[in-house]
Amino acid sequence: VNADATGSLITRHAPIDRVFHWVTAVAVLLLTGSAFLPILGLKFSWVPLHWITGVVLTLAVAFHTVRSTFFRRLRCMLIWPRHLREFMQGRKAAKYTLPQKLMHAVLGFSVLVVTVTGVIMLAKVDTPLWKRDPYLLEQSTWGIVYVLHGASALLILTLSLLHIYFSLLPEKRAYLRAMISGQMTREEAAEFHDPQRWSGQRKDDPHENNR
Amino acid sequence: MEIFRITRNAWGQETLEGMSWDLLPVAFGVGVAFIVLHLVWRALRKRRRSPPAS
Repeated sequence: VNADATGSLITRHAPIDRVFHWVTAVAVLLLTGSAFLPILGLKFSWVPLHWITGVVLTLAVAFHTVRSTFFRRLRCMLIWPRHLREFMQGRKAAKYTLPQKLMHAVLGFSVLVVTVTGVIMLAKVDTPLWKRDPYLLEQSTWGIVYVLHGASALLILTLSLLHIYFSLLPEKRAYLRAMISGQMTREEAAEFHDPQRWSGQRKDDPHENNR
Repeated sequence: MEIFRITRNAWGQETLEGMSWDLLPVAFGVGVAFIVLHLVWRALRKRRRSPPAS
């Protein structure tokens, strides 16, 4: 982005958050591909790719959960009834718009479910690090784990399609650029965000309004 | 269309195996349908907002 041509730049995403996002994105694409392509008839040795990528996703999710819970403003991602009222009134958002928060909430929850169940399912895989133990749970409990894993994976497939689609829309392209470079212009931010509630300078943002 | 994959053993006992993969095209289709509907809504909104040609 040329700052002189398009206005002053503000930081939307820290480098560590961008690394997390793209690691998660690549992991989710590899996991959905290695899970669903064999079902569609493309035969390959998908298990090693799936469990190794799953472990990478688990580590990334654990890191993000700890960081966002204890070291960032977790509440800026929470959704309250007033956010719906503000959205319906056309009021500009703080750092995240209501649709962005909803996508984060549903996709984040699905990824948490698929990750937790995936970690449990690692007990059924022989790896250089551990031996499989298929009797860890009763058969009926395994069934519930598989249902939760499959249902959340299907939801992630749908939401990933929507997430990629919205990121490619011309009017939302600034968000995609910000997820790559970390920055967007003040003019781009002002289209959907209230500068009084989100300035791009964390220390300057009002604590109570930045939600 | 099945929602769950369920197997039955030699004694007739049913075992839950997971979600049915019949739902895979459904999950994909819901995503594509939403995208198409959003594109149509977006085009209609753009047309309403654009000033009439004089």
